[in-house]
Amino acid sequence: MPIECFRVDDRLVHGQVVVGWGQSLRLGFIVLVDDTVAANDWECELYSMGTPPEMTLFVETTDSVVLRLPEFDARADAGMLLTADIPTMGRLVQSAPRIRAVNIGGVHHRIGRTWRLPYVFLSPEDDAALAAIASCGVRVTAQDLPGADEVPLEALLSGGPA
Amino acid sequence: MTIAAPPLSVGTRMLVLARLLTLQGSYNYETMIGNGIAFAIEPALRLLPGGRGGEAYCAALARQSRYFNAHPYLAAVAVGALARAELSLENLERIERFRTAACGPLGSVGDRLVWAAWLPLCSLIALLTFGLGASPFMVVAVFLGTYNVGHLALRIWGLNVGWSDGLAVAPALSTPLFRRGPLMLTRVAAVVGGVAIPLALARSAGASPLGVFIIGGVGAAGAVMLGLTQGRVQGWRVSLALLIVAGVAAMVLR
Repeated sequence: MPIECFRVDDRLVHGQVVVGWGQSLRLGFIVLVDDTVAANDWECELYSMGTPPEMTLFVETTDSVVLRLPEFDARADAGMLLTADIPTMGRLVQSAPRIRAVNIGGVHHRIGRTWRLPYVFLSPEDDAALAAIASCGVRVTAQDLPGADEVPLEALLSGGPA
Repeated sequence: MTIAAPPLSVGTRMLVLARLLTLQGSYNYETMIGNGIAFAIEPALRLLPGGRGGEAYCAALARQSRYFNAHPYLAAVAVGALARAELSLENLERIERFRTAACGPLGSVGDRLVWAAWLPLCSLIALLTFGLGASPFMVVAVFLGTYNVGHLALRIWGLNVGWSDGLAVAPALSTPLFRRGPLMLTRVAAVVGGVAIPLALARSAGASPLGVFIIGGVGAAGAVMLGLTQGRVQGWRVSLALLIVAGVAAMVLR
């Protein structure tokens, strides 16, 4: 079963992922892609403690995940791939053409970012990175939980839905 | 270079704990509960060199006011750990990394344990109390009592374990309560629900077979609808629709 969802969420493994999406998609594994987390044992341990025992967590770097994507796609259970930021997902999209849809699940406030949705704040650099992902033929939408409405990229880039 | 953190007096701990109860009041879309974290940790930061208003105090308070998002009860773990880290003059980059990395796991563990398991279990225990014939006041008291015992215990444990373990708090989250607890509580809730629902139904409908049929039918239809729409419809919309139906039914049947 291929990875069901490619999600950008700066909280990585958290409640919306393991409870909201985890139950809806019946996730069996999560692939966390973050070079900094992968390089720190204590961060890996922290994220593994946040993952329910019935799910398997894989922590990968941006390079290693590209090599392992076929392996993840061949698993019998459903999975979700998480990155903490848009540029990392952009690099994955460039390296793995099989990614056809990207979910923006949580990009929170920092200096330089402006409000688009309660859970999405974007800087001009983020806008450009999202447009670049979409230009690869990838469907980009924002949706925090399975029951929430999908917000198309055009609405995000134009300053959020009316 | 880190130093040994000064001891945290009982008074300071109580003050931090009391402020943790206000955490959800600080919620906003920009910093989430970041301001609440700073407010809760502030009594401990007074122990920094220079004291209240000093340079180290102001810098730490500003640092702790930034974006933070976790389950409000398990945020106590982060507050305890961050208080120790700040008072130990821990490396600032490590503090920032911890603040970033702690959000997700503390949110995940808390959501699974509290919102998805403890809260439904307490609701079903209250329903069971109703089914056993308790007064409305007793039903509410049982719900609030059981729920708050759990939530206060979680906050007290979180603050203590965070303070004692500091930034190396991850192993504390591997306790069976957090790993297997949600599943166990969900199973207990299923058993309690299986006992409570028929009893509550019998009490609501009285001895009338028609009443049992109507209430049972509406309940069963609601359960089927929730199952079919799981993950596609927001809970508050379903709840609002059910409340409207119940209100109209009450007016018509009166």
